[in-house]
Amino acid sequence: MVFLTFPCLIRNRGPDRYWKVQELLKNARHFRGRKNRCYSLAVRAVRRAFVYATKGRQLKRRTMRTLWISRIAAATRELGLKYPVLVDNLVKSSVQLNRKVLSDLAINEPRTFQSLAKLAQARQQEGFRAALGSGSEPPGVLSRVVLLQ
Amino acid sequence: MTARGTSSRFLQSVLQNGVGRYVCQLKRISLIFSKNAQSSLGARNFIEEGVVDYAKKNPGTVVYISPEPCRIPRLVAEYLNGNVREEKITGKTSQEISDLVTKLTNQSGLDIIRIRKPYHTDSPSIQGQWHPFTNRLPSVGPIRPPGKEAST
Repeated sequence: MVFLTFPCLIRNRGPDRYWKVQELLKNARHFRGRKNRCYSLAVRAVRRAFVYATKGRQLKRRTMRTLWISRIAAATRELGLKYPVLVDNLVKSSVQLNRKVLSDLAINEPRTFQSLAKLAQARQQEGFRAALGSGSEPPGVLSRVVLLQ
Repeated sequence: MTARGTSSRFLQSVLQNGVGRYVCQLKRISLIFSKNAQSSLGARNFIEEGVVDYAKKNPGTVVYISPEPCRIPRLVAEYLNGNVREEKITGKTSQEISDLVTKLTNQSGLDIIRIRKPYHTDSPSIQGQWHPFTNRLPSVGPIRPPGKEAST
C-alpha cells in the first residue's frame, strides 16, 4: 500500500462494531466470570455453548428415553415383573403405548399400570402354554391379534 | 440460542380463559398509516373494505385508525395482560392485513417464546400419585432395623 498523504492512511473501519459486539455478548450474559463481559473471552465461550446446545438436542432424546425405561423398570419390579417381559408382552397384545406414556402412568396412575402389568403377565402365561403345552388346549384370549385390512 | 440463554415459559391460558366464557384477549388495535404514501396502500384499502366488518365482529376490541405522516404503516395490538405487539404492514395487500388482524385477535397476549412442554394439566393424577406405600401390603409390616433377629 502506498499512501501519499496521512489522511489516506486512516481507515474507516465501520460504524456497527458496538452492535455486533452486543449481539454476541447478549448470549453470554448468564455466564460466570469475565466471559460475560469481555468480547474475546465471550467469543470462545459462546461458541462452545452453541456446540453443546447442538449436541444436547440428540442427547436429550437419549437421556429422556433411558429415564423413562428406568422408571418403568422400577415400577414393574415392584409388581413382580421385569421390564423386557412387560414391553414384549404388551407389544404382543397390540397395546401400542410408548415409554413416555407408560412412565407417566406408572407415576400418576398406579392402578392402571398394575392392570397393564397383569395383562402382560397373562399374555406371558398364554405364550408359555402355547409353546410348552400339548396343543389340544384352545389358544388364549389375549393371543388373538386383530389384523385390520 | 441456548435453552438457558433464551427465555422460555410453560403452556398456559390467561386465567383459564375458555373454561367459562371466552374473553377475547385483544384489548386495542391501532392502525397507523399514511394518507398518501405508497406503502400504506394496503392499509387504506383495508380501511375502506374490511375494518368496519372486523370491528362489528369483535365488539370487545377497540379499533383506532390514525392517519399520520409516517414512512412505515404499523399495526399495534395491545392485550389484556399488558403486552404490546407491533407489526409492520408495509406493502401488504388488504387481504394479508385482514389475515394478520385475525391472527392477532386469536392470540392471547402471552410472550412468543419457547414453550417448554406442549401440554399442561392442573390435575395430572386421577388415581393418586405413586408413593412408596401404594403397592405395599399392610401385612408386610413396618420397617424394622436389621439387628433384631441377631440379638436373640
